[in-house]
Amino acid sequence: MRGTVQPAPGRSFPGADHKAPAVNLRGGWALIKSTWAMWIQHRGFFFLLAFGWMIPPLIYMFVWSTAAGGDTVSGITRGEFVAYYLVLILVNQLTYSQANWTVGDVIRSGDMNTWLLRPLPPIYNTLSTEVAGKVVYMAFVIPVTAVLALVLRPELHVTPRDGLVFLPTLVMAWALRFFWGYWLALLAFWATRADALLALQDALVFLLAGQVAPTALLPDPMRSAATILPFRYMVGFPVEVLSGQLSSAELWVGFAFQAAWLAVAVALFVFVWRTGVRRYSAVGG
Amino acid sequence: MAKAQIIVRNLSKTYRVPEREPGLMASLRSLVRRTTRDVEAVRDISFIIEEGEMVGFIGPNGAGKTTTLKMLSGLLYPTAGEARVLGYVPWERSPAYLQRISMVLGNKSQMLWDIPPLDTFHVLGEIYRVGPVELKQTLDELIELLEMEELLAKPVRNFSLGERMKCELVAGLLHRPQVLFLDEPTLGLDVSMQGRLRRFLAEYNRRSGVAAILTSHYMADVVALCPRVILIHHGELLYDGELSGLAARLAPFKLIRVALRTGNGLGGNGDGFDLPAGVDVVERENGRLTLRVARAAAPEVTAHVLNSLPVADLAVEDPPIEAVIDQIYQDETLEGSLPEGVGR
Amino acid sequence: MAYLRLIRRFAVASTQNELAYRANFWISLLHSALNLGTGVLGVAVLFGQVEMVRGWDFPAALALLGVYLILGALRELFIGPSLESLAGMDGEIWTGTFDFTLLHPVDVQFLASFRYWRPLALIDLALGLGVLGTATVQLGHTLTLERVAAFLIALGAAVTILYAILLAFSALVLWSPGFLFTWVFNGLFQMARYPVALYPGWLRLVLTWVVPVGMMTTVPAQALAGELTLPMLMGSVGLAAALFAGASSLFRLGLRRYASASS
Repeated sequence: MRGTVQPAPGRSFPGADHKAPAVNLRGGWALIKSTWAMWIQHRGFFFLLAFGWMIPPLIYMFVWSTAAGGDTVSGITRGEFVAYYLVLILVNQLTYSQANWTVGDVIRSGDMNTWLLRPLPPIYNTLSTEVAGKVVYMAFVIPVTAVLALVLRPELHVTPRDGLVFLPTLVMAWALRFFWGYWLALLAFWATRADALLALQDALVFLLAGQVAPTALLPDPMRSAATILPFRYMVGFPVEVLSGQLSSAELWVGFAFQAAWLAVAVALFVFVWRTGVRRYSAVGG
Repeated sequence: MAKAQIIVRNLSKTYRVPEREPGLMASLRSLVRRTTRDVEAVRDISFIIEEGEMVGFIGPNGAGKTTTLKMLSGLLYPTAGEARVLGYVPWERSPAYLQRISMVLGNKSQMLWDIPPLDTFHVLGEIYRVGPVELKQTLDELIELLEMEELLAKPVRNFSLGERMKCELVAGLLHRPQVLFLDEPTLGLDVSMQGRLRRFLAEYNRRSGVAAILTSHYMADVVALCPRVILIHHGELLYDGELSGLAARLAPFKLIRVALRTGNGLGGNGDGFDLPAGVDVVERENGRLTLRVARAAAPEVTAHVLNSLPVADLAVEDPPIEAVIDQIYQDETLEGSLPEGVGR
Repeated sequence: MAYLRLIRRFAVASTQNELAYRANFWISLLHSALNLGTGVLGVAVLFGQVEMVRGWDFPAALALLGVYLILGALRELFIGPSLESLAGMDGEIWTGTFDFTLLHPVDVQFLASFRYWRPLALIDLALGLGVLGTATVQLGHTLTLERVAAFLIALGAAVTILYAILLAFSALVLWSPGFLFTWVFNGLFQMARYPVALYPGWLRLVLTWVVPVGMMTTVPAQALAGELTLPMLMGSVGLAAALFAGASSLFRLGLRRYASASS
């Protein structure tokens, strides 16, 4: 809190020496470790969740590779489809947004008060569940994907350029999905139910983020929507980069869009957080 | 002589509980080999309950009360022994049997949450095949007895705990069961509501002649409703009889409360005062002493105290029932005789 | 019949429970619309790139999607909500109120299957029928009485298989209370969106006989197109009966186990 009270000369408050710094890395790290220790206990539960999220990309992988057969669909071979979707599974899991239940539910249940009372920026809580979750999910998804790769024989040719650009786009995709999901979850400060918005968000991600098909294969109106809207840049874009489906021009245009949407997402997050917390404290949670 | 409704003979229930030690190695080991432990929840209990009787089951948490109730209501299979309720074997779960019994749980609800209670009652009426005329009659009677008229229009989720409990009672009684199992029905209720529910249960028992088993941690419930109690501890039946006899049999001691005159020059609390053997000082503070003494020795000790201490006031009391129960719960090696009195 | 009266009572009570929240209606509509939209677009995108895959063209795949939506709607109508109230995440087995259900003088499997209804699923049913109807018209098939009969039988078998699989999963919760049975089932059910022919050979076998999602949608769709052989129809009916018997036995076994283990 800003504006500390000054103790009278000659005396000091007992806890004055143990002031938590604004950033409080130690606190944050402790929280991450403890959350992870808790979640790893329930890994069976989380593995089942990851299993469920893997199925739609797998379905489309099978469907497209059957459609390609021995030939291609729009220049993409069976093996390339398999590679695309296996990478998609990994990227999707890595960027998946849990904010609705790690933040949204916390606000709805009133537990946000506990977070706000601690000398720790609340974003640490979200980050700790994020780290915990991703580690546990990937512990399941990576081996399974590896096995599938052995069985299904993907074709992946990565050019140096694509390989170098992939990592930044992946990190930005994670950040974009994280902050986008976060500000949406923060709407819980105002509305008690998130069903409608969640359903809409899921549908748009499903259609435009590369699950139904690689962006290039979408029909025109959908392809334009996908290029302009943020959803492709949360999942599909890095995958397209790595699979070499993009020309230089397309790659840099996409990169620009991704950066722009990331900036928008962060701005929205900061704005919604500030207004939301003020309202939350005023209304009394 | 009233008809026997509940007959229990040598009933036992043992659970197999998996054992698991903490740590990574243990969890890996548990994948291959499971170690289990046998827990005897109920050991060889027998009793008979007759028509119209309301019996209290008391005992500490984990004593086996709820397990026994669940066996009698058919929810659990016993490991050994037999039971007959209304002539049926409970765990065969015949619909005719289930039609005639009812269980009300204090901490769980069977009401549908978002609709007024009457709607749940009608569904239950259908499930229990209560004819519409009879259902209306029973509901009217119960609602009047419980003073619930204003509650009928609200959805259940807006009810207070006490109001919800009233609904649970109606839900449990609308099919006019012959045997009623009540598991902590007054849990969490405020004092006045508890009193009201007790009066209702007593009145209902009187009017309908239903045989009932009540478990409760509030001794006031048991004292008010159950002329007969059964004490279960560590799965064993320790006592079956009148409540007043419980103290006499299991904790045959009395309490002598002494108030000392001030300025008695004895250290203010009777220090240095010698007591006969077998007398316990339970409390001493501010010039007041509480002594625990064997029932038989009470008169003698009283005389001794009056002679040797500067007594301002003295009273000889039966121990409060809670203290008796408390003592029993704490005592691992209960033999039904005077505790050795070495203090806790 | 007492059981029919009971079902009517349950349906009425569930409807009242649903209508208690007005927002439910609009959100439900949105879900139905999104479900329809994503389903149709998913198929459309595929067939925007190719004319035909393994003998299935766009209208045929759309017809299959229609069956899928119908099946999903029937599941949401009563099978899903009832079993979920028992074995789902906040279900009775998890919270401990299952004892009340066990105490009722009505068969537990009956209660677990018919207890809760979600009448808004009728909207999804209508949408599914719409999709199926549109596709059938586009396919230009003649709807003979024989084909319609075959379709209805196949659909009946499909619903029975759906019920049996969900029941079996619910039974598993009696052994392992944390098991996310709806979640796992949803994943597998998704595979029924597309004709089994679109999956590779080994997966096709699995999806026809082991986890018979193929039976659930492909067979009825083929029946309507007049492509279903009699042995296949009989096979699906037989499979449905066998799965029903198996799932019911598993459920009863689970109940017995629950009654000897819970404290």
